[in-house]
Amino acid sequence: MMPLHAAQFPFLSLILVCCAGGLLLVLVLPARQTSAIKWASAASGALTLLVSLYLFVAYDQTRGGFQFVEQLEWIPGLGISYLNGVDGFSAPLLLLTGIVYFTGVLTMWELQTRVKEFFALFILLVTGVFGMFMALDLFFIFIWYDVSLLPMYLLIIVWGSTRREYAAMKLMLYLLFGSALILPGLIYLVVQSGLGTFSLPILTSAAEFSPFQQKLAFLLFYVGFGILAGVWPFHTWSPVGHVAAPTAVSMLHAGVLMKIGAFGILRVGIFLCPVGWQYWAPLMGFLATVGILYGALAGLRQTDLKYVIGYSSVSHMGIVGLGLATVSVDGLNGAVFQMFAHGVMTALFFSAVGFIYDRTHTRAIADLGGLAHHMPVASAYFVIAALTGIGIPCLASFWAELLVFIAAFRVYPVYGAVAVSALVVSALFMLRVVQHTLFGPVNEKFAHLADVPFGLGIPRMLLAAVIVIFGLMPFLMYETIQTTAVALINGLP
Amino acid sequence: MSFFIPELYILIMAGLFFVLSLAPDNPRRDFGLALFLSAGGLAICVGQAVCGEWAGSQQQLLFSGTYQVDGFSQVFKCLITIGFFLVISLCRKLPGIAEKRHSEFYLLLSVATLALMLLVSSVHLLTLYIALELSSYSLYVLVYLRSGYEKGIEAAIKYFIIGATASAVMLFGFALLYGTGQSGYLSDLMRELPARMNEPVVLIGFILSFSGFFFKLALFPFHFWAPDAYEGAAHQVSAYIATVSKVAAIAVLLRLAALSGGSEKLAAFLIVLALASMTIGNLAAMVQKDLKRLLAFSSIAHAGYVMIAILSMNVLGGTSAVFYAFSLLVMKFACFLVVVETSVDGKNVEIDQLAGLHRRAPLLALTLMLAMFGLAGIPPVIGFTSKLLVFTAAVEAGYLFLVLLAMFNVVISLYYYLLVVKAAYFTEPETEATPVSVSVPVKLLALALILTMLIGGLYPHPFIELADSMAESLLQASGQASGQAFGQAFGP
Repeated sequence: MMPLHAAQFPFLSLILVCCAGGLLLVLVLPARQTSAIKWASAASGALTLLVSLYLFVAYDQTRGGFQFVEQLEWIPGLGISYLNGVDGFSAPLLLLTGIVYFTGVLTMWELQTRVKEFFALFILLVTGVFGMFMALDLFFIFIWYDVSLLPMYLLIIVWGSTRREYAAMKLMLYLLFGSALILPGLIYLVVQSGLGTFSLPILTSAAEFSPFQQKLAFLLFYVGFGILAGVWPFHTWSPVGHVAAPTAVSMLHAGVLMKIGAFGILRVGIFLCPVGWQYWAPLMGFLATVGILYGALAGLRQTDLKYVIGYSSVSHMGIVGLGLATVSVDGLNGAVFQMFAHGVMTALFFSAVGFIYDRTHTRAIADLGGLAHHMPVASAYFVIAALTGIGIPCLASFWAELLVFIAAFRVYPVYGAVAVSALVVSALFMLRVVQHTLFGPVNEKFAHLADVPFGLGIPRMLLAAVIVIFGLMPFLMYETIQTTAVALINGLP
Repeated sequence: MSFFIPELYILIMAGLFFVLSLAPDNPRRDFGLALFLSAGGLAICVGQAVCGEWAGSQQQLLFSGTYQVDGFSQVFKCLITIGFFLVISLCRKLPGIAEKRHSEFYLLLSVATLALMLLVSSVHLLTLYIALELSSYSLYVLVYLRSGYEKGIEAAIKYFIIGATASAVMLFGFALLYGTGQSGYLSDLMRELPARMNEPVVLIGFILSFSGFFFKLALFPFHFWAPDAYEGAAHQVSAYIATVSKVAAIAVLLRLAALSGGSEKLAAFLIVLALASMTIGNLAAMVQKDLKRLLAFSSIAHAGYVMIAILSMNVLGGTSAVFYAFSLLVMKFACFLVVVETSVDGKNVEIDQLAGLHRRAPLLALTLMLAMFGLAGIPPVIGFTSKLLVFTAAVEAGYLFLVLLAMFNVVISLYYYLLVVKAAYFTEPETEATPVSVSVPVKLLALALILTMLIGGLYPHPFIELADSMAESLLQASGQASGQAFGQAFGP
């Protein structure tokens, strides 16, 4: 279905090498040299950001298909090869990972406890995420999926806050339950295809799965990856996990990890089982709509800043799910665009909240108030993130949501109407949070706190800039995604 | 006789320690000698396997055709001697065994190893039985040798009684097979039995015959001894039971299952046992406080996963069982390395006592974490590769539901493995715990284990090729054996 264009230079492996190099450097450096460790991580993050930006720009929209493909036999006996490639769906997500990685490291610049281990695990997690977005071999997709989950447990349990032991265990068990469905699904398809290969491009083009096989496997993938994507009713691990995780991990977690789930549904479920996708799409649409509404309503009642963002993530990931459920070009475009936009937005959100929490040591909305008076810059980042969350025009998620809603109204008018009205609720809770924490009566206890210094503001500026750039010039993103979305929809049986 | 050299070597080693057990006690001499000799045994075994070119169907029959030396048995013997050497390398300090008994300890360990090596080559019901009993009796006594722990005797008696019951049941099964097949040679049975699998007597004969090896593997319903024996025995003995004797049991179960010619009725029965075993093992492990008990229940669960490979009864099933044996050997040994190193005066290790291990001994904590993730079957550790192979084999055989249930079990198991990781990495000790001093050889050993676990997870190609060629040689060997040398010389 999708043509493969071999890479002139293995840029994709270069990303992994940059990560691995950063990891090695962090491991080799003595634990006392905390600033060297941070610089090493930042350098690795900057390099991967540059390479992923290059890939995003250099992706040739006229040629389409999978580009920068690199292949190496890995376990010939089982038909497993190291096969990487980029298409219109993964290019934006690789860029997103690069952005969140780099800004995440900068956000944790003030970390003091067990610095070396933190950054080692952090980089390991990012490596898994990068691998997942670029892998085209089912074996590697699964490996990277798990590599990106494992460090979460330690990251939350050691550096986390509120109910971290509970949250970490819940998160791991939920997500690994997801992989308990994915792995049998993968094996089932590989065995049933009779081709003896784990290669996704070969399976999508040459294997002929019966409708029953596709429906069964797609359901396994949808639920399995859907747990990580925060699909209602499997989302309960996510707000708890967001709250407990340290700032940079929340950024990665909400910004990138949940996208892995949605991307898994797209890359594995939809690519391999198009018939199953069409069959289950109404169910996906229903669950996504419930998620959008539920997340918004639950967010309204939260008292902890991070819980608010956690539930808004559930709501926003519902929009991704709704887009996928429409089985249309616009829906796919919107879904992938939303993955990117929401990733950058939540990263900014958690980064802003993280800063406020580091200074005030509280995230209870009731305790804060009037922060905008003495921390105007810190508040500004928060406001930008909140406005993006609401979907204000000129900011990136506006376009994503617009596309999804257009498609949804066409396919499922009822769900579309419910989802759009849920946006009003989410605007309400975002503005409520902004009002109670940033404006209103000043809490004198925090009046002495200084605003964001320039250096620490860099990651937030970067994230805000990305939101605005893609809000003003959505075609930069849209046309790349479009390339693959059109090919995918045209190829449907 | 040149094919029998590794066994002879271990026999001589056992004899030497018998003589030493009469001489005055000298634990240091015993350890040095045992380490040196077991390394020699490993070298001989590996050397013979490499030079012998066992690939393909080449095989050699000894002792009136009751003993078969082929690629399959030789590679398993290599695994057994590797495990033997590794366990002995843990014996530098042996506080779990009274000093005057050290030479007896090495004697019994050598005899058990010899017996397990005989076991994987046995192709006659009688040699199978004798080899199994020889290994079991050595292990009963080894469990009993634990000093300074009251429960040691209870464990030994439990182990012995359940073992004796399992052997009795197995003998009855052998009698049924012998009666219907009119021969004790596996090759004759191989020719006779697959066509008659629908007869109840044959089916029951198979099921009962397996029980002796279910006991070794700690598979439900012969698993009751495992938690007590692991807890009650000295760490090194538990390590031996958890690794080496499991490897041999897997080998024999593979050979026996090949006899049935892929009977679906037998498979249905084994599915029930596998599911029961992994569920019981995983659920019980969740509430354990003692690390060795936890490992015992995890062994019971893993016996269930291994059975999935065996009951798939296809080539990939054989490959995956062999690979699983190897990965279990490595991962379980890594766990016991940590148990031995963190234990104070040979006492048992509670999970809480691992608190702060990441500061007290970072390398051991890393080894433990990888081993735990590996046992849970999470990539990129070797345990994932083995589970992938097993599950692929099962799906090929059409058991998708079984794989789904097994994967749910994997998630359950993750809970208690994570508790161990949490104790090592997160919990801080209440009192300032003594730092664990880790000697250089142990550090090297830990590094080697870490590397093996990671390479087995990330680039398992060479291991899989080896396992694959072995599984094929087993199938060919058992296929060819019908008639020919066996039947001509010693047919009924």
